[in-house]
Amino acid sequence: MNSEPQAVTIVMVEDDDGHARLIEKNIRRAGVNNEIIAFSDGTSALEYILGSDGSGEPSARRHLLILLDLNLPDMTGVDILAKVKANRHTRRSPVVILTTTDDQREIQRCYDLGANVYITKPVNYEGFANAIRQLGLFFSVMQIPETD
Amino acid sequence: MPISNASFIRSALALLGAGLVILIILAGSSVWLSERTRENAADVLEAQRIRAGTSHLLALLLDAESAQRGFLLTHETAYLEPYRIAVGQVTADLDLLKTMHQGDASQTELVEHLSTVIQEKFAELAHTIALAEAEQRPEALEIVNTDRGRKLTDDAREKLTGLLNRADARLNSDVRAMTSDARFLSFATIAGAILVFLVGSGSLFIVVRHTRDVIAARTEVLTLNETLEERVKERTTDLARANEEIQRFAYIVSHDLRAPLVNIMGFTSELEVGVSTVEQFLEQVGGGEGEAARAAVREDMPEAIGFIRASTKRMDRLINAILRLSREGRRTLAPERINLETLLEQLMANVQHQLSEAGGKIAVVKPIPMLVSDRLALEQIFGNLIDNAVKYLDAGRPGRISISASEQGRLIHFDIADNGRGIAAQDHDRIFDLFRRSGVQDRQGEGIGLAHVRALVRRLGGDISVKSELGAGTTFRVSLPRVFRQTSESVAS
Repeated sequence: MNSEPQAVTIVMVEDDDGHARLIEKNIRRAGVNNEIIAFSDGTSALEYILGSDGSGEPSARRHLLILLDLNLPDMTGVDILAKVKANRHTRRSPVVILTTTDDQREIQRCYDLGANVYITKPVNYEGFANAIRQLGLFFSVMQIPETD
Repeated sequence: MPISNASFIRSALALLGAGLVILIILAGSSVWLSERTRENAADVLEAQRIRAGTSHLLALLLDAESAQRGFLLTHETAYLEPYRIAVGQVTADLDLLKTMHQGDASQTELVEHLSTVIQEKFAELAHTIALAEAEQRPEALEIVNTDRGRKLTDDAREKLTGLLNRADARLNSDVRAMTSDARFLSFATIAGAILVFLVGSGSLFIVVRHTRDVIAARTEVLTLNETLEERVKERTTDLARANEEIQRFAYIVSHDLRAPLVNIMGFTSELEVGVSTVEQFLEQVGGGEGEAARAAVREDMPEAIGFIRASTKRMDRLINAILRLSREGRRTLAPERINLETLLEQLMANVQHQLSEAGGKIAVVKPIPMLVSDRLALEQIFGNLIDNAVKYLDAGRPGRISISASEQGRLIHFDIADNGRGIAAQDHDRIFDLFRRSGVQDRQGEGIGLAHVRALVRRLGGDISVKSELGAGTTFRVSLPRVFRQTSESVAS
C-alpha cells in the first residue's frame, strides 16, 4: 500500500488544439492543479491508458480522470470509452464526455457504456466556463486521498 | 411483333366480303339451276305427253286397220269393236296433238298434214266397212286392193314415228341438259364449299394470328409493368438514400462548423479577460502618456469583441437551425389518429394572452376533420404558422386570425388566414427558403420557421402554399393527406 495519497492525473483526449487549450485554461482557472496529459488522437491516448499491450496494467495503481472528445481523427471517443470501461483496471476511472454532439441517442449510448458525465461544448462562453468550473470542483473532490 | 389493328380489320373485312360474295354466287346459281331443272322437268313431261299421245294415235290407227281387215275377212262384227273405239277417240287425240304442237311453227304443218292423212284413212276405213256391211265385200276388197289405205297408213305411221323420234330427241336433250345441270350444280357446290373453306380458314388464321399478337402484346405490357414497378422501387430507394445522405451531410457539416466556433467564442472570452486586465493595469499606471492605448482598451477592443460575439452567436443559431432541420428529417414519424381541434386550441392558448393585449382575436372555424398523422410534426407546423400570424400582425388594426379546413378527395386543406401586414408577391416563394425573410426586418427571427414547416408538411405527404396581399393579410394553405402512410422513407430506414 502506498501511504502517499495518489494524485489524480487528468487525461485529456482532444484533437482540436484550441479546445484543449480552453479546457486546460478553465480547469486551471477553477483552481485545479492536477497534472493534465493531453492527447490529440485516440491511438496514443489508449496506449497511455491501457499500456502498449492493451492490458491496462500500467493504470492498476494510477488514478485517472479521462476527458474525452467524441470526434477524433482515428476513432470515435465511444470506442475509447467502451475499451476503458471494459478493462478491469480502468473501469472505475471517471470518464467525462466533452463534445459538440447533443444528439440524444449519442448521449444515451455514452451513458449506457458507463460515461460518468456528459457535457455538450457550448459556444456560450459563460456556460462553458461554468461547466468547466463544475468540472474543477469535481476534480477537487477527486483529489481527496483514497484509502485503498 | 407490331400489331396493326387497321390491317387486321381490313383483312378480316376483305375475307368476310369474299365469303359473302361466294355465298351469294352459290345461292344464285342454285336458284338458277333449280329453275332450269324445273323448266327441263316440265319440258320432259311435255315431251312424254307428246310421245304418249303420238303412240296412242298410232295404236288407234293400227287397231282400226286390223279391225277393218278382220271384219273384211270374217264378216264377224266382233272384229269391229276396236275400230269403233278408235273412231271414238281419234278426233280427241288429233286435237290434243294439235294443241301440243301449237307453239311450234315447223310442226304445225306436219300435224295438219298428219290430221288430213288420218282423217282420209278413217274415211277409207269407214267406206270399206260400210260396203262390207251392205254385202258388197268384193267392192270393199277392191278398194283395199288399190293399196291406197295401206299407203295412207304408211304415210301416217311415218309421220307419227317422226313425231315420236322428235319427242325422243327432245327427251334425250332434256335429260342431257338436266344431267349437265346437276353436274354443274355439284361442281358449283363443291367449288363453293372449297372457297368457303378457304375463306373460313383464312379468317381463322387471321383471327388466331391477331389473338396471338394481342396475347404477346399483353404479356409484354405485363412484363414492362412489372419491371416498371421494380424500377420505380429502385428509384425510390435511390432517392431515399440521397435524401438520407443530405441529412447526414447537414448534420456532419453543422457539427464540424461548431468546433471552430467553440474556439472563436472561447478565445474571444480569453481576449476579453486579457483586455480587462490590461485596462485595470493602465488605470493604475495613470499618467498622460498611454492615452491612445487606454482609448483602445476602453472602447475599440470591447467594440470589436462585441461584434465577434454577436456574429458567433448568430452563426451558432444558424447551425442549430440546420441541425434541427436535419434531426427532424431523420426522426421516425409515428402516425396516429389526431383530434386537430384540441391540438389547435392548445396552440391558440399559447398566443391568446399576447394577442388579447393588442385587442386581437384568433378562432377556429369548426368542424375540423380528424386525421391520421404525426402529432409532433403537426404541432410544429401549426405552431409555427400561428406564431408567424401573431408575429406579423399589422399594428394599425386589431388582429384577426382564423383557421379553417376543407376536404377534397384524400386531402384536407387547412387555411390559416390573418389580416396582418402581408407578403409582397415577389417573396411568396422565397419565404419558404432557409434563412430568407420578407418585409421590414423589425422582428426577431432567423428565417427558419417556414423552411421547417415546408420540410415537415412535405414529409407528411402534403404541401404548403401562400396567398397574400401586401398590407391586407396572408393565408397559408396546408394540404395534408387524410391518412399519412410511410412510403419511401420507410424503405430507406
